[in-house]
Amino acid sequence: MRRRVINKGDTQLGVTWAWGSRTIGTALLLLGSLHAGASAVQDASDNKSCLRCHQMATLAYRDPTSGEIVDLSVDPNALSHSTHGELACSDCHAADYEQYPHPDRLKDEALACVGCHEEQDDAQERRYRFETIDKEFKHSVHVTSDAPEAADFGCHSCHDPHAFRNSEVGEDIAQIVRDDNAICMSCHEELNDPYRDPHLWLPKREKHREAVRCLDCHTPVSESGQPVSHQILAGEDSNRDCVQCHSKAPQLLNRLYQYRSETDLANKGWLSKAVFNEAYVVGMSRSPLIDRAALAIIAITLLGLGAHGYGRYRAYRRSKEDQT
Amino acid sequence: MSELYLYPRWVRLWHWTNALLFILLMFSGASMHFNGVGLLLDFQAAITLHNTAGILLTAGWIGFVIGNLVTGNGRHYQVQLRGFLKRLITQSIYYGYGIFNNAPHPFHPSSEAKLNTLQQVTYIGVMYLLMPLLILSGWAFLFSVYLPETLFGIGSVWVVAMSHLTVAYLLILFLLVHIYIITTGETVLTNMRAMLTGWHRDTHQETEA
Ligand code: HEC
Ligand code: HEC
Ligand code: HEC
Ligand code: HEC
Ligand code: HEC
Ligand code: HEC
Ligand code: HEC
Repeated sequence: MRRRVINKGDTQLGVTWAWGSRTIGTALLLLGSLHAGASAVQDASDNKSCLRCHQMATLAYRDPTSGEIVDLSVDPNALSHSTHGELACSDCHAADYEQYPHPDRLKDEALACVGCHEEQDDAQERRYRFETIDKEFKHSVHVTSDAPEAADFGCHSCHDPHAFRNSEVGEDIAQIVRDDNAICMSCHEELNDPYRDPHLWLPKREKHREAVRCLDCHTPVSESGQPVSHQILAGEDSNRDCVQCHSKAPQLLNRLYQYRSETDLANKGWLSKAVFNEAYVVGMSRSPLIDRAALAIIAITLLGLGAHGYGRYRAYRRSKEDQT
Repeated sequence: MSELYLYPRWVRLWHWTNALLFILLMFSGASMHFNGVGLLLDFQAAITLHNTAGILLTAGWIGFVIGNLVTGNGRHYQVQLRGFLKRLITQSIYYGYGIFNNAPHPFHPSSEAKLNTLQQVTYIGVMYLLMPLLILSGWAFLFSVYLPETLFGIGSVWVVAMSHLTVAYLLILFLLVHIYIITTGETVLTNMRAMLTGWHRDTHQETEA
């Protein structure tokens, strides 16, 4: 009964119900430690009937109105490793898809990350709120842009519901950076062109692409408490201040480094590993205190020397007058 | 009118090389330190320039120390303790007061002592304290991989960075005062000319030798 149709209209009911039973089921299965195997088999058999066709990498059609190619293939491997890996196709898609040819009325089935998620029981417990994400997303360049290519931008532009897996504490930072940047790079290929890359001002671009996320510079340091912000900023609003990262308390990097597990932090001392332990990294030597004090002392010295010089000049004039 | 040959060729060569390296190091250092602020060098270029100039500066400093050991130039850096404080105070009073009243220079360079006590103290501080610190911390940067993880419980590179930065600022301060003070000779250009030609001219003084 868990596999109820979740689509527009009765989404909320269906999801809540399905989840209630899933939680109980999970608890029982966990006791017998059969959970993983059992549910995988169960879902797989169900999914198999759909994947029979949809696993074909070439399954696609050309949308007659827009002329664009719609990719219909679902990679079962990516799906099973995704956050939605334990769901069956029909947990999200209408059960009527079992019929083939698919009934025409299913064509307007609209599934949205936010609509489906925000009503869930554990919505309060998660570190991120889909509502906040949605709000941030609505202020991002991709939504505010007038560019025709950005017209239909939505969550699915970046998150394939059949493959998306969010990062979790304890994962390899380098891998997180790679995955997250791959999302952006899937469209922003112009960055690979050394003549069109808008980041020419940034030294060691390769190193930065491996070590920091696009998001770290292209989103504001928000107070929302979410692990990532979805408010992608336009170039002119983005961060180019090296010190935000290359300093003792790297504000921008804190968001990225939160994924490091406690033991990881304790063992490595991530601050020193990340920023201090390499050879010279810009800004590392920057100390606002020393800089400000030194510049002030230098300014005062210059003033003093100027005054001294002026005094000497006056004395010189006087001696000239005395002579004449 | 007297002329004294105070600055042998090697000292002058070392001095002007050092001066040039100082300027290059200041500019490239600022480019690295304040990277992102306008009118500065490209980061990568700045690093290369800074490291090269730093290595040359080290060589120059070693040359200077050796030169002072093997030639007579070193005697100018030996502090005569007798009357030290008095001379220091006299010189300070001159710069702080007498100079505005056209008082005569309290000190006249000779081949025994070309530096007045205030200069002597400053140069000793700069050449034998600040410069070694600067050079050591600079090399520590270059070889930071081999440094221990922490020094005194703080990230060691950070300790190195802060020392390098502080000493660098002190030396900039020295350079400013130095450039100004050399204009306080007999005429504004007297001392500058001496360091260029080696000959110190003094109209108020007979050769003491
Ligand atoms: C016999 C092969 C086959 C099977 C089995 C099959 N599909 Fe499809 N599916 C297609 C084809 C072909 C299309 C594209 C043409 C269409 O929309 O009818 C498609 C389209 C879709 C679409 C996209 C509609 C659109 O226009 O965006 C969804 C969603 C879908 N299928 C879900 C499922 C689900 C869920 C199952 C299993 C319950 C399933 N399919 C089983 C062949 C199949
Ligand atoms: C977490 C919910 C979820 C699950 C589970 C899920 N899908 Fe989807 N699927 C979606 C969403 C959301 C879309 C709409 C994506 C879009 O609009 O671009 C979608 C779109 C599709 C499409 C149309 C492709 C496209 O790009 O428009 C097909 C085909 C499809 N799913 C097949 C499947 C099959 C087969 C399975 C099971 C193996 C499955 N889905 C499991 C959420 C899900
Ligand atoms: C039709 C409903 C539906 C849609 C559409 C959907 N999800 Fe989910 N999602 C679920 C369900 C159900 C789970 C719970 C999976 C589980 O617990 O195994 C889930 C789990 C997740 C999780 C991990 C657990 C959690 O609760 O945070 C993330 C992250 C997530 N989804 C993100 C997305 C994103 C991003 C999209 C849009 C691309 C999306 N989902 C679309 C139903 C949906
Ligand atoms: C411009 C691309 C982009 C768009 C558009 C986008 N996201 Fe994301 N989203 C990301 C990236 C990158 C991450 C970080 C993934 C990670 O490593 O966890 C992310 C993470 C998430 C997460 C996991 C949050 C966490 O803290 O683990 C959720 C949930 C999510 N997005 C939902 C959405 C929803 C809902 C929408 C549509 C309103 C959306 N995203 C639109 C790029 C995007
Ligand atoms: C689905 C494709 C797609 C993905 C994925 C994507 N973008 Fe974009 N992005 C666009 C389009 C289209 C535009 C608007 C075209 C333009 O203005 O050049 C745009 C515009 C931008 C702009 C503003 C450019 C400008 O010229 O004003 C920034 C900044 C940006 N994206 C950053 C990101 C980041 C960061 C990510 C990853 C989190 C990302 N994008 C992911 C397609 C994408
Ligand atoms: C170190 C911070 C930083 C990182 C990391 C970074 N960006 Fe940028 N990005 C900027 C800044 C600042 C600009 C504005 C440059 C300018 O206008 O000269 C910019 C410009 C852009 C633009 C053009 C925007 C415009 O207005 O023309 C795009 C697109 C973009 N970045 C995408 C990305 C993507 C994708 C990534 C990840 C691969 C990324 N950025 C990583 C700081 C960063
Ligand atoms: C979003 C954070 C962030 C910003 C902003 C940033 N960096 Fe970095 N940068 C990093 C990280 C992380 C590394 C990798 C450090 C490592 O590998 O230990 C790095 C590496 C470097 C390196 C290479 C160091 C090496 O060991 O090779 C240089 C040079 C550098 N950054 C300069 C800059 C400059 C200059 C700016 C400003 C224009 C800047 N960075 C802005 C995070 C940032």
